[in-house]
Amino acid sequence: MLSLLILVPLIGIVILNLSARAPARRLAFWFALLIFISQILLAACRHPVLWNVEMKQIDTFFKVSLSMDQISFIMLLCIGIVSIASLLVARHTIYDEKELFKFVNLLIITSIGMNGIVLVKDIFTLYIFLEITALASFVLIALEKDRNAIEGSFKYLILSAIATIMLLTSIALLFMVSGSTSFEAIRQALNLANNNIILFAIGLFVCGLAIKGGLVPFHAWVPDAYSSAPAAVSVLLGGIVTKTVGIYTLIRLLIAVFGFDPSLKTILLALGALSIVFGALAAIGQNDMKRMLAYSSISQVGYIILGFGCGTFLGIAGAIFHIFNHSIFKSLLFVNSAAVETRLGTTDMNKMGGLSSKMPITGTTSVIGMLSAAGVPPLAGFWSKLMIIVALWQSGSKTYSFIAIMASVITLAYLLIMQRKVFFGKLSIENENIDEARIGISTASIMLAVIIIGSGVFFPLVFNKFIAPIQELIIR
Amino acid sequence: MENILLSLIFVPLLAGSVVLIFLRNSKWPKDITALLVTFANLVATAMIFKSNFSFTVPWASFGFEFSLRLYQFSAFIILASAGFGFLITLYSVAFMREKSNSGIFFGLLLISLSLVNGAVLSNNLVLMLFFWEALLVTLWGMIAIGNKAAYKTATKAFIIVGISDLCLMAGIAICGHIAGTFTMSNICIGVGGIGGLAFILMVIGAIAKAGSMPFHTWIPDAALDAHLPFMAILPAALEKLLGIYLLARISLDMFKLSHNSWASYTLMTVGAITILGAVLMALIQKDYKRLLSYHAISQVGYMILGIGTLVPIGIVGGLFHMINHAMYKSCLFLTGGSVEKQAGTTDLEKLGGLGRMMPITFICFIITAASISGVPPFNGFFSKELIYDGALERGMIFYIAAVLGSFLTAASFLKLGHAAFMGRANREDVKEAPISMLAPMITIASLCVIFGLWNSIPLKYLIQPILGSRLEDYNFAGWPTNTTIVWVTIAVLIAAVLNHMYGVKRTGSGLKAVDHIHHAPILSTVYDKAERGVLDPYNIGMGATTIFAYCLSTCDKATNWIYDSFIPTITDYASAIIRGLHDGSVKTYIIWSLVATAVVISLLLK
Repeated sequence: MLSLLILVPLIGIVILNLSARAPARRLAFWFALLIFISQILLAACRHPVLWNVEMKQIDTFFKVSLSMDQISFIMLLCIGIVSIASLLVARHTIYDEKELFKFVNLLIITSIGMNGIVLVKDIFTLYIFLEITALASFVLIALEKDRNAIEGSFKYLILSAIATIMLLTSIALLFMVSGSTSFEAIRQALNLANNNIILFAIGLFVCGLAIKGGLVPFHAWVPDAYSSAPAAVSVLLGGIVTKTVGIYTLIRLLIAVFGFDPSLKTILLALGALSIVFGALAAIGQNDMKRMLAYSSISQVGYIILGFGCGTFLGIAGAIFHIFNHSIFKSLLFVNSAAVETRLGTTDMNKMGGLSSKMPITGTTSVIGMLSAAGVPPLAGFWSKLMIIVALWQSGSKTYSFIAIMASVITLAYLLIMQRKVFFGKLSIENENIDEARIGISTASIMLAVIIIGSGVFFPLVFNKFIAPIQELIIR
Repeated sequence: MENILLSLIFVPLLAGSVVLIFLRNSKWPKDITALLVTFANLVATAMIFKSNFSFTVPWASFGFEFSLRLYQFSAFIILASAGFGFLITLYSVAFMREKSNSGIFFGLLLISLSLVNGAVLSNNLVLMLFFWEALLVTLWGMIAIGNKAAYKTATKAFIIVGISDLCLMAGIAICGHIAGTFTMSNICIGVGGIGGLAFILMVIGAIAKAGSMPFHTWIPDAALDAHLPFMAILPAALEKLLGIYLLARISLDMFKLSHNSWASYTLMTVGAITILGAVLMALIQKDYKRLLSYHAISQVGYMILGIGTLVPIGIVGGLFHMINHAMYKSCLFLTGGSVEKQAGTTDLEKLGGLGRMMPITFICFIITAASISGVPPFNGFFSKELIYDGALERGMIFYIAAVLGSFLTAASFLKLGHAAFMGRANREDVKEAPISMLAPMITIASLCVIFGLWNSIPLKYLIQPILGSRLEDYNFAGWPTNTTIVWVTIAVLIAAVLNHMYGVKRTGSGLKAVDHIHHAPILSTVYDKAERGVLDPYNIGMGATTIFAYCLSTCDKATNWIYDSFIPTITDYASAIIRGLHDGSVKTYIIWSLVATAVVISLLLK
């Protein structure tokens, strides 16, 4: 059954591309929408009857075991939601039908890669899916073939290649020690032998994933890639790709394979705090809306790693919930930047102002996303930040919890700067004739804003249904 | 029984609110309501006078309980306050007839009565504080409805009494902390260490309410600016009753004070200074009401001195003086009100010869002035003799201060009586006050005579039972036992008369009879400063407030600078540095990543 999450999109792409004529191209959009919606529904209802259906040939198609747990559910949900948002934005930002068709294909491939990352239990297969996602992302960033986009894509490609080398080396070393590539086998082998080679391998692996996830000081590709990419790709990248490729994988491997080494915890906490402060401070001085959001992403990833670095249930749960929240509010903010970009043709915040009066839906949803990012109750972002800070306090890292709280003030500061420069204040004369964003983009904004409010207000429900079950994975 | 206690608090409160909200501008209903409620209050307090009763409703946590206790002392105080409440309401019906705002006055008067009942009946310090502080609001309101300048005076009173109430609050908090309970009847703590601080703070609250120095300065101002019945009811009667009641509770029940403790000497010193300071100011006043108001301060000194002696005779004297003072002082204010209403002014320069035209008012004045001066056999004489006796027992200096105060009191009332009621009349058409104003005055004046001639009645039935076992079976009723003191008192009174005759002979006018004291060397400069308000602690405090406000504003600006300039600048610099680090070169970025990887791995390997 799980294989279907990968097989159905794959076969779909092949069939769509058999005849690349106009009707097929138009069909591609609806096909993509359909598979993402069904992914969301399947993940959200989480009914065991659906997931435990056995299909002999299909289940064994990949020769590797796929499995599903609590964290995978949440990730599948995020992937589905953000992909839909990206798809809706693309429909109104990529005007050429052929380009849109290319985009949809690459989007589906990216989601195949991410679904694979979320489901596999084998370190080499994991690597394959990482590369599928990364490859599709490079092309997506450079889709419009303008100079900046190619430069951003190139930076991503180079640093990703370094990360790939690190990951491969690490996998080779681990394979050497354990003789197998499955998570379970490596874990057991590591329990028996604990030597410097393994620590070296773990270090390389963590650094490789830190590059992919954009943690300071491995982050330098992030602002260029995010800000130069087409609007729809920014939504996808900022919302989910780097979080799945880098952060989720790191969490998964540490929980399931490597375990928490005390010095590893220290490194994670330091990287997290560094990312939070560095990202927030860099964001505060930006004039480009997408660049500011990119630095904000770095800062928010820091929160995830900081919470995860506690190693306690509350910290990990907070980190997972923050991945979910971040993917929602950050893609909301990117969707809004796309809406502004389509109407104004620029992302320079100094040329904006007072847009709320002309674009009420975009302005309002942007306030919701901003408040959630800054951690204002009762929105969803508040709860995950609260969990992270409480976890830090409980696990004795009081300095880090203090940094986290102080940095959330800076978060609020730069988001308020963005909000004031873009949506509040006086409307400039040349912007007087702009309209509200197109229906698809507005739909995406409203959908994401509703999710933010809903998961914040009904937090106890969300916590009990989705987050509390994570405990089973951690306490073994 | 508990219904009666609760209705003592809630009925006047409700009636006062109704008057304030609905009957404010009515013609008769507000007067009738006020009269009926105050009369019912008097009847109810008289009915329950002999009972002992207490009841408690758990209210909030931390020992805050709705706890009322009726016993000899509280029953006596609420009976007295009910009596004054009724008589002065009766007086005000006529006095306030043509005044605007009389509806507000009656409403606030009823609410004040309710709050006094509540404060006196409370057996829990926090509950008492609640009623006590609420009185501040009615105090402000009753002053503020006076003349045009009254608003400022009301604010002054509010600030002074508010600060002392804050002291009381702090004292109660410390007291409750030490004792572990807020129930007044269970508190019994020493005055060593922090207990001493609690004692001082609570005493400040009590004596400020009674109007002692240095918390007195709003009273003379209010005498001119507020309506006269306000002076007769609150500063002259109810506030004295409340303040001295609390002072007695503090120094007799709640704190263990020994005879030689510093607390006793502090109280006696405050008392002595208040007696002399205020009476000296009273002596030179040229306004009927203002002169009386300084005496209202001065007489508090006697009560504090009496209670501060901590010997039974002094305490009995202090408490007896409290009720006596409330009677003669409110009656004196009422005579002042009659004069104001009938003659149209209280400026002594414009008054004179009223004795012939307002004989009943004059007789009431003579009785009460004799009482306050301590002329035998009126009530003030007996209570003062008891205080003298107690003061003499504790120290000659306090006795001398008290006797000197008596001399000056007598001198200033000779001056007042001479200037207002005798001598040449400025107007010949002044009529006697109406009967409803005369009746309260006559009632109180005759009570002054009764409490003097038959002083065993109040002493045996009202005052002495309060002390219980502390009394050590003494009985102070009847003629004073120490005849020396009586002779000294009589000599002092004769001296006052001689002094007055000398002054009149020297200047030829009753009003200027004390000018030789006013213009004596040293005293004249002090008087000069005091009249200009230089010595007023309120003005000094307000001056200090300006400096304080400047400091605060500087701190505020500094804080603003930190938030508005310093932090943003630092953030901007940090942001600029970080942005500068991102030079866009892939080489730099690769180096960052590789160096960081090396650091991570070396940390892991150690």
